[in-house]
Amino acid sequence: MTRALARRLALTLPTLAGVLVVAFLLLNVAPGDPVLEMVGERADSATIARLRAELHLDDPLPVQFGHYAWGVLHGDLGRSYVTRQPVMTELLGRFPKTAELALAAMALASVCGLGLGVIASLRPGGFADRVAMLGAYLGVSFPVYWVGLVLIFVFALALRWFPPSGYGGLAYLVLPALTLGMRSIAVLARMTRGAMLEVLGSDFVRTARAKGLSELAVVGRHALRNALIPIITVLGLDVGSYLTGSILTETIFSWPGVGRYVLTAISKRDLPAVQGSILFLSVVFVLVNLVTDLVYAKADPRIAYD
Amino acid sequence: MPASRPARRVLLALAAVALACGRNGAGNARTLVYYESYDPRSLDPALSTDVPTGEMVTLVFDGLTAFDPDGRLVPGLADRWRVDRSGLHYVFHLRPGVQFQDGRPLVAQDVAASFRRVLDPRTMGGRAWPLLPIAGAQDFAAKKSPELAGVRALGDTAVAIDLAEPLAIFPKFLAMPVASIVPDPAPTDLAQRPVGTGPWRFVSWQHDDQLVFAQNPTYWGGAPLADSLRVRIIPEPLTLAAEFEAQRVSVIEIPFSETARWQALHPTWLVRKPALRVIYLALNNRRGALRDVRVRQAINYGVNVTEILHRVYADRGIRARGAIPPVLPGGDTARAGYDYDPARARALLASAGYAGGLDLQLWISATNVPLARVAEAIQADLARVGIRAELVARDASSQREAARAGRADMTLLDWWADYPDADNFLYPLFASASFGPGGNYAFYSDPETDALIRQARRTTNDTARVALYARIDERVYRAAPWLYLWFPVDLWARQPYVAGWDLPVIFNGQHWARVLATP
Repeated sequence: MTRALARRLALTLPTLAGVLVVAFLLLNVAPGDPVLEMVGERADSATIARLRAELHLDDPLPVQFGHYAWGVLHGDLGRSYVTRQPVMTELLGRFPKTAELALAAMALASVCGLGLGVIASLRPGGFADRVAMLGAYLGVSFPVYWVGLVLIFVFALALRWFPPSGYGGLAYLVLPALTLGMRSIAVLARMTRGAMLEVLGSDFVRTARAKGLSELAVVGRHALRNALIPIITVLGLDVGSYLTGSILTETIFSWPGVGRYVLTAISKRDLPAVQGSILFLSVVFVLVNLVTDLVYAKADPRIAYD
Repeated sequence: MPASRPARRVLLALAAVALACGRNGAGNARTLVYYESYDPRSLDPALSTDVPTGEMVTLVFDGLTAFDPDGRLVPGLADRWRVDRSGLHYVFHLRPGVQFQDGRPLVAQDVAASFRRVLDPRTMGGRAWPLLPIAGAQDFAAKKSPELAGVRALGDTAVAIDLAEPLAIFPKFLAMPVASIVPDPAPTDLAQRPVGTGPWRFVSWQHDDQLVFAQNPTYWGGAPLADSLRVRIIPEPLTLAAEFEAQRVSVIEIPFSETARWQALHPTWLVRKPALRVIYLALNNRRGALRDVRVRQAINYGVNVTEILHRVYADRGIRARGAIPPVLPGGDTARAGYDYDPARARALLASAGYAGGLDLQLWISATNVPLARVAEAIQADLARVGIRAELVARDASSQREAARAGRADMTLLDWWADYPDADNFLYPLFASASFGPGGNYAFYSDPETDALIRQARRTTNDTARVALYARIDERVYRAAPWLYLWFPVDLWARQPYVAGWDLPVIFNGQHWARVLATP
């Protein structure tokens, strides 16, 4: 198991090296000039030339890449052109907030998605099933932006249950987590229902019922566990994307996470910040996938890594 | 999404928590809440190249001079100054008894060191131009001289500043955030934990979330009336409107799409003021057909600006007949000019040899939705007179790069003043020395205009200078380097319980010291 883990980790290194090269090249061929963004709407050409020189932007690309890669190997993602702060510090300050939102969204998605899916599967075609699947259908269909604003309007302005936006205690977490998790709830509900229906019709469930087990034990212990594999896949992928920042949700709810950081960095052509973010978030994504694989093994004894 | 019973219970429980522990918003009598749409670059004055940074720097720091909300130049850390007859030699006398927020007294040496710091290339601030008129500043910034010759401390209480050539509006340059006075030696973490002489003392900064300031009890202008000022970072305008309606923000700019609703629902909360801004379509005077003045005039006749202002821009502007906003001396919005006349536009195009029409690219910033709609309306009007304009929508950075490099035929732009003076709408926008990055995106070049602008900058008599401004504006207008659109009128809402707040015409004209929330 440990060896398998080490091998998986070693395999991610070429992936990350590729990310590094591609991110660097893409950003350097994209239109827009970081120095023009730094100096604002009005600048003299002497200042612009001096800034370019100080930032080594006039060096040949391979030299610039060499400097950058050397820094990365030493754990240094460089300094933001715009704020002049270390990119690593800026990312580490924001990542916990993104993680908080991502985990809350995942918790909501797991509880609501699984719950709705299971309830719907117990009486297919019944009232609960129809309502849950209509909800799931709407949940996948509505754009995040719209959902977020409607939630603010209903729960923050009309009912005054939650603050409209910002970062703070639990109250600040509910609406953005719901917005972010909405799609996952919907997808999970449909997947759970499908997987459950398949499992509930299988022989071993009939056997379990025949043994006289309670319906709770049949559904909870036998059926659900076997339906979990596809669900874990979906959750893993969604968490990976949540952890890499959800630009829309963070923007609508003024949530100070990495998504907004990356967006601002891109709009300002803040190359070190964008490159650093891409690399950092790639590492996060790779790690999440690794954890997902480990969870598979836990959920299904047939899967083993050695 | 129908909530299942347990889910509903969870939601109710969370709601109870929300009510119990919700962070206090603008409801606190002694706390003011302002906002920015994105995180400031830094709190170091030397890095203040954008509006959020400039506004935050203005809270903590002072310059030798300052602007009031109406854009008038008022004394700052210098309580008086004089300039000799040549217009070259200034002496600024420091206000006695001023302390930095860490208790150190302000001395003239701090001023000299602050200016050196901004010009020092190692600072990498990017906005040295307000201080470049100082004698020796160019050489110092280029590392050709180890000293900044033009700035000398006269004892502890006065600073002599010599200019390289006369510049009547130089005291206005010193009111810009970049010319703020920082302690010498500057603290190494000034950018994150600033220390200045301003009305507000820095408390904390949660990036992308909020900045917190507390009143500076020893502020030379009198301690601010409120205890604290929170500045939240709220990127989405509709969320911002919700925050205001929930009474968690003291003042907001009304989002474009909400203009009619707010005018109907809350007319008494609204504050309107013409802004020191101009929205215009830069026509690249050095590119293709646009080199011909008749084509540029045809564009001005061919677009129904008044109608677009009304229909697309919710009447939030004053039709421009020149580049100088009506708030500023020298501005003239009653000038006889290009009224909508498609027949005349077609005639002008025909006389220029484009009877069969012509093709042009119109560059817009895709992220600015109201302006993108304006561009579509312009495109439709131009099509009616035979100009086929192709909209090129890019992000702001790409648009700016193309415009500055002269690769765009026409670019839709919004120019914000740095200092309240007509010079700010003439020198950067129309002097040939300002081509591209300097602000002259139209690449308008006219030796006579250049000479007049230079003459105005040297003229110390205000009346004579204003007359020159009007003359320059008129001259440029006839040459139609732009499609002149309008001067925006800002529309803000103020909570009824907020007193003493006035919408500033210039971004650093509001220091929040005389503002109070009294719910």
